[in-house]
Amino acid sequence: MMSMRVGIPRALLYYRYFPLWNTFFRELGAQVVVSRPSTRKVLEEGFKFADDDVCIPIKMIFGHVLNIEDKVDYLFIPRLLSDNKTGYCCPMMAGLPEMIKYSMPHLPPILDPFVDERYRGTRLSGALSKVGRKLKYNFLQTRRAYSKAREQFDQFQRRMRDGVSVLDLINAFETNGCFTDEPLTEKEEDGSMKIGVIGHPYNLYDTLFNFDLFKRLKEANASIYTPERIHGHTIDHHLRRLKKDIYWTLGREILGAAFHLLESRIVDGLIYLTCFSCGIDSMIEPLVGFRAKREASPYMALMIDEHTGIGGFVTRLEAFLDTARRRKFNSDDERRTS
Amino acid sequence: MKITVPHCGQMDIFINALCRKIGPDFVIPPKTSLRTLDLGIKYSPESTCLPFKFILGNFIEALEKGADTICMISDHGPCRVGMYDIVMQNILREMGYRFNWITMDDTRILRSYLLKFDRERRKRKVSLVEAIRALLFSWKKMNVCEEMERWTHKMRPYEVDRGETTRVSLECLRLIDGVTDLKELKIAREDALSSLANIEQDRTRQPLKMVITGEGYMVINPHANQDIERRLGEMGVEVTRTMWFTSQIAHAMRLDLLKKRSKSKAIRASKRYLPHNIGGECNASIGYAILYAREAYDGLIQLLPFGCMLESVAKNILRIVSKDYDMPILTFSLAENLSETTITTRLSAFVDLIQRKRKIREK
Repeated sequence: MMSMRVGIPRALLYYRYFPLWNTFFRELGAQVVVSRPSTRKVLEEGFKFADDDVCIPIKMIFGHVLNIEDKVDYLFIPRLLSDNKTGYCCPMMAGLPEMIKYSMPHLPPILDPFVDERYRGTRLSGALSKVGRKLKYNFLQTRRAYSKAREQFDQFQRRMRDGVSVLDLINAFETNGCFTDEPLTEKEEDGSMKIGVIGHPYNLYDTLFNFDLFKRLKEANASIYTPERIHGHTIDHHLRRLKKDIYWTLGREILGAAFHLLESRIVDGLIYLTCFSCGIDSMIEPLVGFRAKREASPYMALMIDEHTGIGGFVTRLEAFLDTARRRKFNSDDERRTS
Repeated sequence: MKITVPHCGQMDIFINALCRKIGPDFVIPPKTSLRTLDLGIKYSPESTCLPFKFILGNFIEALEKGADTICMISDHGPCRVGMYDIVMQNILREMGYRFNWITMDDTRILRSYLLKFDRERRKRKVSLVEAIRALLFSWKKMNVCEEMERWTHKMRPYEVDRGETTRVSLECLRLIDGVTDLKELKIAREDALSSLANIEQDRTRQPLKMVITGEGYMVINPHANQDIERRLGEMGVEVTRTMWFTSQIAHAMRLDLLKKRSKSKAIRASKRYLPHNIGGECNASIGYAILYAREAYDGLIQLLPFGCMLESVAKNILRIVSKDYDMPILTFSLAENLSETTITTRLSAFVDLIQRKRKIREK
């Protein structure tokens, strides 16, 4: 008997949860099919089915679903209302299974576990158990698979916090099927420029949306700081003074990371990669902008939409890096003379 | 303390009535106009939603008029309205205004605003009984205003002179706004109803019945939705609106459990299409579509500001609801540059379509 094939689109929360989902299904004995990396063509396929009001990462997932729909028995599109005790995800992610189900014809059945970490009955572990039950596995099997998956996921998060690039981690995970202990990135050199790159993981790590941003930064000899590298309680510490409950988990992470990077003067410049018509970014980005202005730190918000061309992107990036570099050398000189 | 609130439905009438009786001075922001929107657009981040721009414009104009305390409702939901307060404060301070900000949400009700208002009350030597009486009076007043508006929706398709209902209702609203006690309110209400009933009508017409639902701010405010209710009424459509300022408050305080078309019933009805309540008006929009389709309404109009996260989920699902219940649905995704012509063209096409549908059914 051929093993069951579960399809995971390479979009949205894939960049956060893939090691967990993948290990879970593999431990159950299912075959995981991941869609191909994003390209312009995938996005254009997505346009055909997606509503015109939604943001571009959601349009992208439509393209990815189309990419794997005929190769799998089940599609895995979790419904995340909240992935944290206090926070919400983007509401579009909570309605995503319906949006896809009602917009595209001839889809395989969708596995849509409902995750709301605020209540006991709907935690991630329970939601995945239900998925296991639906696929006719018994409780013990799903439990064991989940604990294995959790192990991999914890390791993934630890490595991210150590500063290993998320893309490298996921690529290595996809080829090996698990995390190995070998170091994935080279040590940072001192004296090089430090650039903070913030944004939603599905914008930052999507190969189409980021226009090789990380590669370009590395070529410019900059070391990169992403929100994943910053510890949860550092973020809490910086947001406490705001006296405002930032209720989006990802938004909170981005804002806290930005405040930390700016206030502690860790980075020489900050780049915010946002996408057009993103509701969360539209509220978080101004707050980051005001803080960067107050700290007098080089800051650039890059907004991507359907028409963004690589030319404009690269020009702005180069100009920004020049500014950051000049600022850094000037302040280094000042320090030396004083 | 000179407080101000954004324009939202008849809320200014409510706060005005309350403040005239007991409270601090109330600065009504100038009527929302093109200038308001322009100011809002100029100082807002570009990709925020339309309500943000209107409300920010209201605040700027109110601060220009001399307000020094801003009251703003907030939320902890997934909708971005909960973040309005912090972003707006930053923007207004950056512009150089000085003001106090009172955020009204459902946590820390006592500490963050009720006690503040109470201190203000004691400073003015108003007794607690008087305050509660004033609150109830203002609430009744707002209810009367909304009742009036409901009547205008019913009357408008029958009027012989186009625009007569609108003119009469504006006069009546002015009358009600000037009222200062319950007895006068009762008289004013009866006067208003009788003058509405005296409008020349053509009862032989058979107007279409349509319902307007969607994001709260866009549904409640004529300035945000380009006066869609009046336009539809003058095309000969009887309009029902799912959302009122009072109904929102009543839902938040769980007072609407017994009502026939309450929001909680709508949310329950939406479970078939969206099994979990994801917050905001999303589930309610879907649920109302189902409820009104069962009551054989002819069509539904969904209003959302462009980029609204919750309503665009609803928009996707409404497409299927429309097919399942055979009810035409028109969605307006409104951004700041939407012209009047677009609205009228799309509306009249929609009305034509439904009229043809009805004719076919009658045959």
